[in-house]
Amino acid sequence: MKLLAPSLLYIAAFSTLTAADVNKLTDEQLNFFERKIRPVLADTCYECHAATAKKVKGGLLLDSKESALRGGDNGPAVVPGKLEESLIIRAIKWADKDMEMPPKKKLSDAVIADFEAWIKMGAPDPRGGSVEGAASASAKWKKKEINIEEGRKHWAYQLPVKPAPPAVKNIDWPKSDIDKLVLSKLEEKNLRPVRDAEKRDLIRRATFDLTGLPPTPDEVKAFLADSSTDSFANAVDGLLASDHFGEHWGRHWLDVARYAESAGKDVNVLYPFAWRYRDWVIEAFNKGLPYNEFIKQQIAGDLMPFKDVLDQSKKIVATGFLAIGSKPLNERNPKQFQLEVTDEQIDTLSQAFLATTVACARCHDHKFDPIPQKDYYALAGILMSSETLYGTNRAVQNNHPSDLIDLGKESGMSPGFEGINASERAALDQRLTTLNTTRTEKTREAFAARSAGKETNLLQLLALREQLGNSEAKVNRYEKNGDPRILTMGVYDRKYPVNSAIYSRGDATQPGETVPRGFVQVVLKDAPKITAKGSGRMELAQWLSAEQNPLTARVMTNRIWRWLFGRGIVSSMDNFGTTGEKPVNPELLDYLAVRFMENGWSVKKMIREIMLSRTYQLASVHAPTNFLLDPENTLNWRMNSKPLPAESLRDAMLFVSGKLDPYPPDGSVVCRAGEGREGMIKMFQVVSQPQYYRSAYLPIVRDQLPETLSLFDFADASLVTGDRESTNVPSQGLYLMNNAFVQKLSDDMARRVYESGKDNAERVTNAYQLAYGRPATQNDQAASRAFFSNYLLDANKAKAKKGPDISIYAWSAFCQALMASAEFRYLN
Amino acid sequence: MNPDLGFSRRHFLQSTSSGFGYLAFSALSTWAADEPAISASPLAPKQPHFAPRAKRVIFLCMKGAPSHVDTFDYKPQLIKDNGKDSGRGRGGPALLLASPWKFSQHGRSGLYISELFPEVAKHADDLCLINSMHTDLPNHPQAFVQMHTGTAQFIRPSLGAWALYGLGTQNQNLPGFITMDPPPNNGGARNYGSAFLPAIYQGTKIGSGFPGQFGRRGGGGAEETISNIKNERFTTEAQRTQLDFVQTLNRAKMQQDGYNPQVEGVIESYELAFRMQNIAPQVLDISKETEATKKLYGIGDQTTDAFGKQCLHARRMIEAGVRFVEIAQGNWDQHRNLRADLEKNCNEIDKPIAGLLADLKSRGLLKDTLVIWGGEFGRTPHAQGGDGRDHNNTGFSMWMAGGGVKGGTKIGATDEYGYEAIDNKVHIHDWHATVLALLGLDHEKLTYRYAGRDFRLTDVSGRVVKEMFS
Repeated sequence: MKLLAPSLLYIAAFSTLTAADVNKLTDEQLNFFERKIRPVLADTCYECHAATAKKVKGGLLLDSKESALRGGDNGPAVVPGKLEESLIIRAIKWADKDMEMPPKKKLSDAVIADFEAWIKMGAPDPRGGSVEGAASASAKWKKKEINIEEGRKHWAYQLPVKPAPPAVKNIDWPKSDIDKLVLSKLEEKNLRPVRDAEKRDLIRRATFDLTGLPPTPDEVKAFLADSSTDSFANAVDGLLASDHFGEHWGRHWLDVARYAESAGKDVNVLYPFAWRYRDWVIEAFNKGLPYNEFIKQQIAGDLMPFKDVLDQSKKIVATGFLAIGSKPLNERNPKQFQLEVTDEQIDTLSQAFLATTVACARCHDHKFDPIPQKDYYALAGILMSSETLYGTNRAVQNNHPSDLIDLGKESGMSPGFEGINASERAALDQRLTTLNTTRTEKTREAFAARSAGKETNLLQLLALREQLGNSEAKVNRYEKNGDPRILTMGVYDRKYPVNSAIYSRGDATQPGETVPRGFVQVVLKDAPKITAKGSGRMELAQWLSAEQNPLTARVMTNRIWRWLFGRGIVSSMDNFGTTGEKPVNPELLDYLAVRFMENGWSVKKMIREIMLSRTYQLASVHAPTNFLLDPENTLNWRMNSKPLPAESLRDAMLFVSGKLDPYPPDGSVVCRAGEGREGMIKMFQVVSQPQYYRSAYLPIVRDQLPETLSLFDFADASLVTGDRESTNVPSQGLYLMNNAFVQKLSDDMARRVYESGKDNAERVTNAYQLAYGRPATQNDQAASRAFFSNYLLDANKAKAKKGPDISIYAWSAFCQALMASAEFRYLN
Repeated sequence: MNPDLGFSRRHFLQSTSSGFGYLAFSALSTWAADEPAISASPLAPKQPHFAPRAKRVIFLCMKGAPSHVDTFDYKPQLIKDNGKDSGRGRGGPALLLASPWKFSQHGRSGLYISELFPEVAKHADDLCLINSMHTDLPNHPQAFVQMHTGTAQFIRPSLGAWALYGLGTQNQNLPGFITMDPPPNNGGARNYGSAFLPAIYQGTKIGSGFPGQFGRRGGGGAEETISNIKNERFTTEAQRTQLDFVQTLNRAKMQQDGYNPQVEGVIESYELAFRMQNIAPQVLDISKETEATKKLYGIGDQTTDAFGKQCLHARRMIEAGVRFVEIAQGNWDQHRNLRADLEKNCNEIDKPIAGLLADLKSRGLLKDTLVIWGGEFGRTPHAQGGDGRDHNNTGFSMWMAGGGVKGGTKIGATDEYGYEAIDNKVHIHDWHATVLALLGLDHEKLTYRYAGRDFRLTDVSGRVVKEMFS
């Protein structure tokens, strides 16, 4: 609708006057309204509060008598004779911070006085003709009731049904049901699958896809030599059994779980014990924890039955999922802080497990999906009934430090940092006591000064508070004898569960009606009943992991597909709602979802089945006819050429240079950096130190990511990320060409390569084997020779100019070039 | 079709960079090239929504919240009522504190500016003072992030990233959004991040900036570098030989793949990186600037040297075609030692800023370069500890100059003491909307679809303050 200029509105409204209406008013009244009130309404209010407005705000219309009397969301705007009850007066006087009208510029005192006079004289209003129009406009803008039953018709809310394998024309091509489902869609669109991948490419692809590392030249050789029919199946089984599998696939999940080791946002203090959750995820993938269990433990591990102390401890660690989110620690209002933490949890868990943007329903009913605001607060109540424990200590800007969970020595877990001796521990105690005494004194002085009307030294008190916080955190790390405590982040049930109010616009100062704890109705008809006793997290865990939940299996199998093919069947990985993308092959998605559940929610079995399909084993070659019909390869007529993720690129460089430390480090450098500001400063030094363990264990401090990760499209550690970006920016080139660590690894690779051969041709071949998993072709040999001769010319030139002797770096420059090339960075 | 047009600029760039011709290729001559250069690149110049008044931005970001009542918001009543109880303290009585510095009128416009900025005051007729700024919260981290991204509550793209997303950049050999010495705290990289926008729109950080952060003053100026910009090992020729080999490998792969835009992207980005290596240091190298220019910026004088260099770098960057340059300077958080420290801060920046404005003007750049000065909020008219001021988010000042801004103007006002903006209030959202409008972008149309909905810098708010336009 086009927005009418206010003056036109004024004329339009004026012309609707009828004689009958006017007759009821005295001339003075009519005059007053027309001269003092109507022009102001038309000029300053109608833009948002008229039937003709582009967008009616607050459900309020002021262009008819009736609608003004009826009012908007907050109540009647005009109550004749009653100033206090007439919201319009409060609004134009800017008495409420949230209702300052007109919002841009306050009306002059004289105009406000006119409106007050008008209300006092009984709000005479000749308008009437537009009531009908207003009513219909009002109906249009009135809160639309969300129809849940209607909403369930969206594809994602219907249970997946396993389709019968479709008939295909090319009956020789499919190896499995997955292939039939893919091929039938291809044939529908006149697309033909390209050729199968070469064995060499296939083993490289599979090794990177499952472990994030390249195959060794020997592994390639062995695979090529194995001509048995199940050679690939055996290779896949071997890779799935490797401990590197969990490091790679765990890291996939950590993207979704927005894993990081600091609070992010405005006061980015460290989370020294977030790494326990990271290690738990890696182990869960390695041990093949069924996905439904995997969900339950992350939501309610602390409430689940356990075998022994270790089992119990691990399940508590799993709830770190809810605790590691970013937090606005310097929010002053504690209730608002709780709302923010809860919102972050809802946003994360609903996107991660259900690909549903429930958090959109925080301030109002979801605009696009059938999720009323009430459902959001039903869910919020469950999370508010739990306490989120994330550590951090009190500091000037951290108004919300929390405790950590002490798992106790009997858990058998590693503390992740060194202990101290008993006397050192006693010294820490002593310092804490001294600080406490000083603070008590200083606080008393401050009060005395205040009551004497003198100024208090607030800054000194603040500094003391910070020191105390630091000191407390240090003391709390150790047992009395100085042994390190076994600490973790996580979630506990509060003593008394609460139901949440609906907060208007998500604002802590505007609580409304309270709603019982519950779930998002549209997802599941028969949701578990929440017992009066606990928080409801156990029921939430069941609800999320139920077979009847139409989203859970679909969302995860779509993620698995994405991590293997580079693109989801639903391309909006974290949004299956009405504004998300539809599945390009719904039958395939349903098939995978049902198979996933049939196989006991086993991630490894799902991966295996997909990888053994012919679809996965296609080459990544170009095919012009297919390309014209489906340029983005949405239907899988070939394998996508995939960029190595940041972690794999770094790990592969370490790997080919022979420098990779394949063992997981103990805990995290973040844990050992220390607490508070001190720890943060330490981290700046630590981040630039070279590390040789796998990238999955690098410190993930929000907004301070290691360069080697952040440059290559690592996930934003504050957001649920099911689909990483893929960029090609010059800063990546600068890193690979000029970074000292990359050069150092090139030196190491060069040494390895040089020692591996008798002559240069053999060395070149070995270098190609190492970097690309294939021997050098004749062209490669020629290009390499050309490189070396040019390089030596340059080196001689440099020498002649009395420059540095760079001839010693020839092999290093060569190896660095191999690592920097596209063949190293992309998978066929 | 004219076959000559098939020879695109991209080919030109490639051919100049694959031989030794690249050495002669100077970015400094390309800043005027506003026509679409590399259309495939997400950084290629884009058409704004309407005719822009400014083409580029220099944001002088004063971290820590400078006192408005001592600098650009003249409050005679505060002077009169000096020492009276304001009734607003948060730890005992809080007495109104008249500014220890004198204000006087400047230029034909007669704008009031305090004696802390004698040099900037000479440009009064170019300044558009906004005295009615306000922001949501009186805490540094949140307000700082809100100033940069519109909200501290959610993770959102920064102003510079939005500008780059909306307009692309004019020099494909340099980053389009550069931030010099950004503070690592107060939201850190969030303040120049791209959040859900493609990563290519995020700001490129120059300089370490860190060591000073927990010390007295933030900001660097001495060593401005782009990460990994310099190869410490090879000669340029040897590196070119190495890169030629990389590109041979890449082209071989491309040939084998038939068609692979990703590999094409790799090839291009290496050439860009290689050119950047050559050009960025040229842009950052101020040694060839004349002594007169350096003096203009206060370079060489201990007090003004660091910020002067940053300002000169900023000019060189925008001249070379960078779209958005930000310089962070601080710390302005004068809870105490107001008299000494505020004066010190102002002394450090007054001459360099005046120099920047004069230099831009004489080069004809000021008319379409928007220069912004301001911090995350202002300070209380009452004293803290006798010689300090507390946080004040309900009223503070910023100013803008150049780029289609009406010079010699004062927008809005605070109350008689300077506590609250009361007239023509300008919220951070409004300021964002106005900055975008000056760049030719409609803040309601500059959207990006993420998680199923279209996001804007200004969320659901924002008013373009047209009174600021020339």
